[in-house]
Amino acid sequence: MVRLIAAVVRKDLTLTLLRGNGLVQALLLGLLLFFVFSLSQGVGERASPQSAATVFWLSSTFCQVLIFSQIYALEEITNARFGLLLVPAPIQAVWLGKAIAGFCLLLLAQLVFLPAAIVFLGQTVSGALLPALLALLLVDTGMCALGSLIGALAQGQGTRESLMSIVFFPLLVPLLLAGIGVCSQTLGTESPDDADIWLRLACAFDAVFFGAGLLLFGFLYSGDD
Amino acid sequence: MLELENIAKLYGDKVILRNIRCSFFAGSISLLLGKNGAGKSTLLRIMAGLSRPSAGEARYTDSAARSRGIGYLGHATFLYSGLTALENLRFWSDAWGSNRCDDDLLSVLERVGIMPYAHELAGVFSRGMAQRLNLARVLMLNPVMLLLDEPFTGLDEVSRTVLHKEVRAARARGACVVLISHDAVVDAPLADRILLLADRGLAFDGAPSAYAARACMEDAPWCA
Repeated sequence: MVRLIAAVVRKDLTLTLLRGNGLVQALLLGLLLFFVFSLSQGVGERASPQSAATVFWLSSTFCQVLIFSQIYALEEITNARFGLLLVPAPIQAVWLGKAIAGFCLLLLAQLVFLPAAIVFLGQTVSGALLPALLALLLVDTGMCALGSLIGALAQGQGTRESLMSIVFFPLLVPLLLAGIGVCSQTLGTESPDDADIWLRLACAFDAVFFGAGLLLFGFLYSGDD
Repeated sequence: MLELENIAKLYGDKVILRNIRCSFFAGSISLLLGKNGAGKSTLLRIMAGLSRPSAGEARYTDSAARSRGIGYLGHATFLYSGLTALENLRFWSDAWGSNRCDDDLLSVLERVGIMPYAHELAGVFSRGMAQRLNLARVLMLNPVMLLLDEPFTGLDEVSRTVLHKEVRAARARGACVVLISHDAVVDAPLADRILLLADRGLAFDGAPSAYAARACMEDAPWCA
């Protein structure tokens, strides 16, 4: 199972970063959000930390939807999905491999979004960095666990693809609130909420999405019926 | 190795297959014949576990078939166009946990005659070359169950001979091979057994000699 996970991660990263369009579309969409939001402010005006954190996580979410659509589409061109189904290993390895590949790509995108938030929205880091880093990892983990599951749901089904984000966004709300809560504190918001509460909430939802992925992926990623 | 018990398949109201009962054994080559739309590919996909039968069951009696995987070569190539031929084989080898080194993979490419193109992207391959690479993908895994759906499509005479040789080698090492072909004249000598699908059911299941006799009675062109 570990070998299948490693093979899927290596293949998806190679195809996305070295041989395909890379993250161009996902990055452009995310950056566009920062740019458009920056236009809503007056000249020299600074967006509130909460707004900046919200735009950051919204960009990350849109970016993540595109990433998972892209990496699940890799199997659909020549029906390699059927080849993966025949591998003598638990099929959940594909879900986990794609989640890990998506996690790496999302982190790369966020490396671009972070300076964009500072430049376009005039932010400064004035709070503790460690909780924000933890929140980044925990929220990204949950987003990728769920994104990999819903990417599987959307694969090969053009008509279902439009439903993906509709199903996806409400499920992500608790995780996004956690990310926004912690990151806005790092950017300077005085919040009565302790970051620990948000981090524990993110952990709980990570566990839920991991459990759902392990249980449901086999039903979603199947043959032609 | 594999038992099909009263397999039926429906797409909506349309019956594709009904009441298919037969067994497949290790160390044998079965040739599956039938007209277009007879349900050959559907039956092969059911055997591979890629499609669920509407009724009946496809049961592997040999646990090795499941634990060592099923080699399936269908109409689609399962290749990644953005990876080179060698990278494609490396991916599938790693995914199956077969732990082959690059020299092993290159020797497989040599067997199917595309070693000089090992570092070319699969996306620029012609249909025939992609089919050869697809064949290499299946052969390197040494599966105990080998399901080949019209594997000769797009292959020239030399490749066809190579494939015949590889199919015989698979039988010799104890694999169960099921092969779909439209060219009974050329491929029947390869087989130990012929199955004919017609009228949504199994119209014939027997030795190639018996099938030849029956075909002669019906003035089939390959009787000579």
